[in-house]
Amino acid sequence: MVRASPQDLALVERLRAGDEDAFMMLVEQHQAMMLRIARMYVSSQAVAEEVVGDAWIAILRGLDTFEGRSSLRTWMYRILANIAKTRGAREGRSRPFSALIKEDEGTAVPDAWFRGLDDPGAGGWSTFPNDWRGIPEDRLLAGETLRVVGAAIDALPPLQAEVIRLRDVLGWTSEEVRNALDLSETNQRVLLHRARAKVRAAVEEHLRSVNT
Amino acid sequence: MSRDLVCREVVELLNGYLDQALPADVLAAVEAHLAGCDGCTMVLEEFRQTIAMTGMLTEDQVTPSQRETLLAAFRGWSLA
Repeated sequence: MVRASPQDLALVERLRAGDEDAFMMLVEQHQAMMLRIARMYVSSQAVAEEVVGDAWIAILRGLDTFEGRSSLRTWMYRILANIAKTRGAREGRSRPFSALIKEDEGTAVPDAWFRGLDDPGAGGWSTFPNDWRGIPEDRLLAGETLRVVGAAIDALPPLQAEVIRLRDVLGWTSEEVRNALDLSETNQRVLLHRARAKVRAAVEEHLRSVNT
Repeated sequence: MSRDLVCREVVELLNGYLDQALPADVLAAVEAHLAGCDGCTMVLEEFRQTIAMTGMLTEDQVTPSQRETLLAAFRGWSLA
């Protein structure tokens, strides 16, 4: 477990001193993600908002005793996950995560692109993936392509979408993601792989359509 | 891992590879495969680029009413 950084401890000091700017900065950084995570445990957006509100209060109350044994972020999301889980259980919602993981058994690239079992080269490429190497970096990072990426993420099953947002949009470690979403290491890895595979496929499809 | 991997298996392991999450024997088999396979190397590069593109996205903002509620909660807390 990563301990709190000097920046974390400095931020906690400012919060304890009642620094509103510091608090609002923390809110700006985390509110949207906290809402989405809460939404995974409870039945509606309205309940998720209550959960996040309760989590902020619990975070503020806990700040006086925050000792920095984990990063501030890890500590905050553990509080959020606990409150959301309790609330979800009270609503009679059993945690749907394991079912969500199984419901979607896609492959990274279409099966038809590989040689069949009766082929001596079974499992090797029969259709090559679209080659992006000739495409300039600034084209890939242009607004149009990024919109395709954003839309592909929005279209993912909820848990895959949250995992890829946390890992690749926000840059969290797999340990932090497992902690916030209460996932096993294997599940985290599978969800991230499926999510990235679908985003990659959407970009490929897009590049193919604009290049021909 | 005692046998060679085929492309179809390797593409499912590429994100584990990028995350440095593969067991040593699987890692060795993936690296050996990539060294001789253009198709899989291309997909690996595309996953890298996909991650870079995803990293350019930004998160939504906080709504004004959420701001107000939370600021009020913070003031109440810091005065307590």
